[in-house]
Amino acid sequence: MTHRIVVDVQTGEVTQVEYTAEEQAAYDAAVAAQAEASAETPAETPVEPTEGV
Amino acid sequence: MAVTIDGSAGVTTNTGAVYNSIQTGTAVTASGASVDFTNIPSWVKRITVTMTGISFAAVGVARIRIGAGSLVTTGYAGGLVGVATTPAVSLDSLGASPEGIAGLSASAAGTVVTGQFILINVTGNTWQCTGSVVRNTDTAALNISNGWIALSGTLDRLSLVATTSTFDAGTINILYE
Repeated sequence: MTHRIVVDVQTGEVTQVEYTAEEQAAYDAAVAAQAEASAETPAETPVEPTEGV
Repeated sequence: MAVTIDGSAGVTTNTGAVYNSIQTGTAVTASGASVDFTNIPSWVKRITVTMTGISFAAVGVARIRIGAGSLVTTGYAGGLVGVATTPAVSLDSLGASPEGIAGLSASAAGTVVTGQFILINVTGNTWQCTGSVVRNTDTAALNISNGWIALSGTLDRLSLVATTSTFDAGTINILYE
């Protein structure tokens, strides 16, 4: 299960909060979508330099 | 001698007065899918996010997101440019998924990222952010981003979110004033 780190800036309290099932499902869907997009398009596409810009 | 001033209704100082208004958050080691800084005071007009040695457990994209009551995931505008040594340039819209007010382009696992983001309250609940980070283990790439958003309420939280990975190292903190 994925988690988040939560920092209360006024008290300094730091807690680790586990994702809920709903949050985990949304996160997993985002990971799957990103993997699919990466397979179709490279993450960093080279661009030809343009003179005079 | 300690002097405490209740500045909740504002503080007026004489011209030339010297004061230290910068507050430091709590530095934490990045892990999981996000690091959320909450309970940011309502009087804050400027936030500096500092990141040192942040890395991803797998190929990851990160975004800075803010919110009022809850983190906002849509409605941002702006752009993110990544420049690598090949040379190669990547361009990402911060108004397209995954959205954010600033961020990091896709980074390979083990990539170490160091840099800062500065958020400024323009007026009302509108915030702008500019920042740059260097990725110093893969291709010495530089990321520069600039974004903005109008929140529906007073900013009270900020998060560095790994939208498709998790963080496995590094230190992050904020300064606010």
